Amino acid sequence: MKLTKHIFMLLVLLTAISCDNVLDKQPLDKLQGENLFSNPEGVKLYMANLYYQLPVEDFTFFRQGFNWNTGDPNNGGFAPAMITDEAVHTEFGDFIGNDDFQWWDQGYKLIRDTNILIDIIPTLDVSEDETKALVGESAFIRAYAYFALAKRYGGVPLITAVQKYEGDVEALKVPRSTEKETWDFVLKECDTAIANLADSWPGGERRATKWVAYALKSRAALHAASLAKYGERAPISGTAVDQKLVGLEKSAAAEYYKAAIEASEAIISSGKFALYKPSPASPEEAAENYRKLFEDPNIAPTEAIFIKGYARPGSGTGHNYGIWFQPNQTANGWPHPGRMNPTLDLIDAYESYTNPGQSAPVTTTVAGNDVSDYNGFDPAKNYKRYDDPAGIYKDKDARLWATAILPGTAWKGQKIIIQAGFVKPDGNAQLFGGEPIKVGSATIYPFGAADRTQYSGFDTWGGNNTRTGVSFKKFLNEGVNVAPGWNQTVSDWADFRYAEILLNYAEAIAESGTGTAAKGAQALNDIRRRAGHTKDIPLTIDNVVRERRVELAFENKRFWDLIRRREYHTLFNNRVRHALIPVLDLRVTPAKYIFIRQNIARLNPATFDYKNYYRYVPGIGANGLVQNPQY
Amino acid sequence: MLLFAAGCKIDNYPAPDAQLYGTFLDAETNEPVEQDIIRGSTIEYIEHGYTSQTKQVMIVKNDGTYRNNLIFANQYTITPVRGNFVPTEPQEVTVAGETKLDFKVQPYIRLKDAKIEKSGSKVIATFKIQQTVINNVRKIGLYAHPEPSVGEPMRTVLSEMEINGAADPNKVYQLEIDIPSNSNNLKTGNQYFFRVGAVIDAPESKFNYAKAVRLAL
Repeated sequence: MKLTKHIFMLLVLLTAISCDNVLDKQPLDKLQGENLFSNPEGVKLYMANLYYQLPVEDFTFFRQGFNWNTGDPNNGGFAPAMITDEAVHTEFGDFIGNDDFQWWDQGYKLIRDTNILIDIIPTLDVSEDETKALVGESAFIRAYAYFALAKRYGGVPLITAVQKYEGDVEALKVPRSTEKETWDFVLKECDTAIANLADSWPGGERRATKWVAYALKSRAALHAASLAKYGERAPISGTAVDQKLVGLEKSAAAEYYKAAIEASEAIISSGKFALYKPSPASPEEAAENYRKLFEDPNIAPTEAIFIKGYARPGSGTGHNYGIWFQPNQTANGWPHPGRMNPTLDLIDAYESYTNPGQSAPVTTTVAGNDVSDYNGFDPAKNYKRYDDPAGIYKDKDARLWATAILPGTAWKGQKIIIQAGFVKPDGNAQLFGGEPIKVGSATIYPFGAADRTQYSGFDTWGGNNTRTGVSFKKFLNEGVNVAPGWNQTVSDWADFRYAEILLNYAEAIAESGTGTAAKGAQALNDIRRRAGHTKDIPLTIDNVVRERRVELAFENKRFWDLIRRREYHTLFNNRVRHALIPVLDLRVTPAKYIFIRQNIARLNPATFDYKNYYRYVPGIGANGLVQNPQY
Repeated sequence: MLLFAAGCKIDNYPAPDAQLYGTFLDAETNEPVEQDIIRGSTIEYIEHGYTSQTKQVMIVKNDGTYRNNLIFANQYTITPVRGNFVPTEPQEVTVAGETKLDFKVQPYIRLKDAKIEKSGSKVIATFKIQQTVINNVRKIGLYAHPEPSVGEPMRTVLSEMEINGAADPNKVYQLEIDIPSNSNNLKTGNQYFFRVGAVIDAPESKFNYAKAVRLAL
């Protein structure tokens, strides 16, 4: 009885409080919605937040999401490239998991925030030009968001206006559209953006333009076209398939390739874009140009179509490439550098200037017939010997030299030492550790130097030394010593660059057999020319795919390329990735370097299952959506 | 007190006390149909009495048997799916106590007269393949692994041959693995399991196999 009385008193009290005006008071330090949109500056502020939420796959993107540079940004230096054949982590052997690369709640949050703006645009008191720009920008953001959803989930609910809760939860539940409808919606939103956006912004702001929207359309249409063409390589079944929520008809490929060709062509023929330093005099010059392009994409305004900037060190404004991926020797006090280890699988893909037009797997023996032998050192083999620890990479595509730090090359004024061990004068190999030996009066160290701050390869200490034989270079700024703390790197990310558009164009032409083949070939060869190649190669699918691998390496494209072309399950079926280990050969005097192709140490084989081509839809218990197959 | 009492009550469901087990059997020969334990044929089952219709999944051992010792006694709709046999219809099954449920299936491919032997520095497999559907045979393979669950998904060494055509039931196919050129994974003096398999060209099809053979190298 007493309890009842207390509850009653509480109710009275609560009612009394809620009658008070205290809940209707306005905070003095925050802007109200109406006020925000009544002022053009407020709209700009709101727009900045939408851009911040864009799922840009940049330095702060990895398997757990975007903008991984606030709160605790410690992801161990794990990057999306490490789930592909581009690289492995020094320590982690993780492959793709069900919870990886999800983007559902955040996606619909961005879409809702964009819809709020879209609904309010007609009521704003701004000029006609400004209205057009807002319509274009919000369509661009929605296209970008739905593209990110479609490539993960297939068909998704298309929410095109702000939903209001009016007492009926069921009314808020929108079923998934088909995958075809979803891709068509993405392209339609791109068209709206293209039709409404201007050539540029008066102050050169990093906001969507007509050309950025074309670039997005080029990328999205190519993605959809590849899914339609190659979906049958990885058949799946289930309710979502029966209802066409995942999967595209093969016949849809033609229209999507056409859209990709046209969007790319619009950019190419605009005359506003060009490759940065398109005709270098030598491979060395090409390598330096290419390196600089990623160190700071702002130096190449004709190539970098859309840039996401990192303005200043700090939470939310800097990123962590500069600490995680330095070679061990230039860690600058950071305890865990060296984490991005480019694979031999990628190195092999780069062309050689001596035999252009094909991948040039690194041959380590005089016989040269054993590139598929990964069994380790074989004393019976006649290995090629080099004075220069990077000698084996001579004649390899300039972009390899600018993407990876090769053994013995200079970086930040130091010679980067990467050595896996030695072959003793008696012919026995000592690899991956052990004690130094004396040869004559010289002491020979397994990893190439006495102290663990003086080398960058193979020592497992701290997970700081490459286990593939090369270290990572692309995007790193050679001139800046990044402070050893979180979010201290401030290099910018080119989200769309002209080279990708040229490659989209070439691929769409080669795959569809439509368009002008000669122009596709020129697009392909222009990129190669910029990389120091002088002989043109024909436009074939293999040539385009290889060119994409090397030109766009580590730009977080490979993961989606393997997915959209349905190549993942074939290339990752118990996939073992490989290293090219430099070994000092003491059987000869003076000692020379030999190289051994072998499996990357301490790394399990990786397998990509059919179901991984789609992510699972979170929260189907509440949202009532049809789940993707096999989840 | 009241809250605690209520909380306990809701958790007091009985534990699953039924068992479901059985074997995939070749409808024609009545022999077990060899399977893969990972990425192999699966059994999907839906428990009746709930609106969610959530599919649960069981996997199958290499010898074609499966067993679930922790299943609630209830009505189920059970369907073997994504297998190495011609797709079958869902069945309504009452599970209570020890319930045996064999699946009579038509394997896509039967591997006949399989022999796997070590010969000099090679492991040589010979076998015939008999397909039961008109689809092409996509490829055949010889797989090796230290564990008996060897198969295409679980192997450290393989030797495969693309067929992409109809198989001649009288032809003896031969596959071989060279031991020295796989010295990383096949070490002299150790024992390994070898198994031959073939896969049909059908959506989501899995490999059919002969029994694994243990060889000392």
